[in-house]
Amino acid sequence: MADTGAIEAGLRSGAQWLVAALEAEDVDTIFGYPGGAIMPVYDALVDSRLRHILVRHEQAAALAADGYARASGRIGVCLATSGPGATNLLTGIANAYLDSVPLLAITGQVASGLMGTDAFQEVDIFGMSLPVVKHSFIVRRAEDVAAVVHEACAIARSGRPGPVLIDLPKDVAQSRAPARPVQHDAIPAPVKPAAAALAAAGMLLARSARPLLYIGGGVGIARAEMALRDFVSCTGMPSVCTLKALGAVNAASPYNLGMLGMHGSPAANHAVQSCDLLIVVGARFDDRATGKLDTFAPGARVIHIDVDAAEIGKLRSVDIGLAGALPWILAELAQPLQIEPWRVHCAALHDLYRSRYDAPGTDIYAPALLRDLSLAAGERAIVSCDVGQHQMWVAQHWQIEAIHAHLTSGGLGAMGYGVPAALGAQLAQPQACVICVTGDGSIMMNIQELATLRRYAIPVKIVLLDNACLGMVRQWQELFFAERYSEVDLSDNPDFVALARAFGLEAFGIERREQVPDAIRRLLETPGPVLCHVRIDPRANVWPLVPPGKSNGEMMDTAA
Amino acid sequence: MIHRLEVTLQDAEGAMLRVLGTAERRGFRVRALHAVVGADALCRMELTLEGSRDAELLGRQLARLHEVRTATVRVAP
Ligand SMILES: Cc1ncc(C[n+]2csc(CCOP(=O)(O)OP(=O)(O)O)c2C)c(N)n1
Repeated sequence: MADTGAIEAGLRSGAQWLVAALEAEDVDTIFGYPGGAIMPVYDALVDSRLRHILVRHEQAAALAADGYARASGRIGVCLATSGPGATNLLTGIANAYLDSVPLLAITGQVASGLMGTDAFQEVDIFGMSLPVVKHSFIVRRAEDVAAVVHEACAIARSGRPGPVLIDLPKDVAQSRAPARPVQHDAIPAPVKPAAAALAAAGMLLARSARPLLYIGGGVGIARAEMALRDFVSCTGMPSVCTLKALGAVNAASPYNLGMLGMHGSPAANHAVQSCDLLIVVGARFDDRATGKLDTFAPGARVIHIDVDAAEIGKLRSVDIGLAGALPWILAELAQPLQIEPWRVHCAALHDLYRSRYDAPGTDIYAPALLRDLSLAAGERAIVSCDVGQHQMWVAQHWQIEAIHAHLTSGGLGAMGYGVPAALGAQLAQPQACVICVTGDGSIMMNIQELATLRRYAIPVKIVLLDNACLGMVRQWQELFFAERYSEVDLSDNPDFVALARAFGLEAFGIERREQVPDAIRRLLETPGPVLCHVRIDPRANVWPLVPPGKSNGEMMDTAA
Repeated sequence: MIHRLEVTLQDAEGAMLRVLGTAERRGFRVRALHAVVGADALCRMELTLEGSRDAELLGRQLARLHEVRTATVRVAP
């Protein structure tokens, strides 16, 4: 309860300091779910101007905060109680860790004296989350709360961003104290690469006949898109993108060869295999991108640029590593190049492997639907995906205009990401047209969040591609486990249209190709949250595909 | 392969756990460990690790931990 006398005396409870510090950090929205140990904070929220979004599962609080952060570039904040509330956050924290998203996770904890006694709803969330946080704190004194919040936010945002956890024991939240002055010396200044290394990189680039940019999500995280596009127009270098970098360069350019890797474009994979110099920008040689690592870009020398020095040389040894701020390094390296034959070759690859949308039959062809929807939604669109085949179709066929317009669980690959992330993104960008592309498996992982969409009238458009199975797993069983189908059938799915309506959403279904144009129009014209259920062929696969453990040069494609 | 690492870190709750956890998760086994917290609130850890991965890389992974001030790889005697 607000005790105005104490506040005037400069004394506030730990919970009040927490809320005040979040406000001072310019946080406007937090996602959470109350419970015993976090109740003092919920009490302090009553007097706060923070907008609290009550989700229906703590995992969704963390994932919504992640979507909010990705779409806005600001820190995302989530809040949960001790014990089960805290453990439910973990998937979302891990998601933010593997995709380097600035996230602040605040958990209530049992009172200090009870910690370590197996008290009711006590779990060691600090210990449990150690491998998936950038940093974490247990706050031991009310006077430290504000300083810890400021330090946590600074850590989460700085350098390579990531999740930071604050565990707040209930007695610390309740006791009153003056604030300890905030120290601001904790964050080290960004490193700069040595001039000699930069010069050597410039020479390597000037001498290369077939240089290729391998662009990663770090470009988006560093907000380095402008610098990257300047670099591309100065050098004329062709490029490939990881899943998380899609949108980094002009989608229509013939020198943008698209996504590399397992479900990448053949043009991208062939270019990587034949380049003589790879400039890696904010990417980390993830196995889904490289395929069999020791056959990846076999003829290439490597210049690796990343803000995180620990990424350089982690998986592939490099000729030159440049650790530091991406925009600055890219500007230093930029130079006009004489690589016309290589550019012509890459543009020809781009042309040769262009996607086709004229699939035979009357079934709905998901790639064409996604393509058309993205074009109709235009520049205001933000697409949020779940995980599976539909996620790969979005990556391949959605016209992605900017990195931040594509939210996808890249590192963790967490089914259940799509709806909460869309919800968070829409709150961060009220003017955007946020579209969630999900599957019949994934949507059930956070279906309860339809209630959150309804409660706050968050106008997310959901496209549910229903193939009556766990499609991506089914595809692998078909191709790599001799068609021995095991636990992938979802043919007894609920009636999703009725289900969405029960949550108070507008909903409708389509199953034939000629219904697609009207469905797209209806989706985009509906002012509130809406779900479109799309029945697709259960046997549809994602093509092309590099089989697991194989080289990116060995793509399978039987789509024809 | 045996590696010796010297790590200085700020003495904060969980800091030593973070160092040990990072070493183990990144593919090293801890063979010997010595740690002292000085009056300057800095903790000095000496780790003898066994593993086939690049110890210099582990050094950089330790160095990015928030509490870690320095992480130096010494050639094993
Ligand atoms: C939380 C979680 N559990 C399991 C998986 C493994 N997995 C990856 S894709 C997939 C199937 C997804 O099915 P659906 O959402 O219907 O999408 P589809 O592949 O059919 O498009 C599964 C089970 C995962 N990625 N995340």
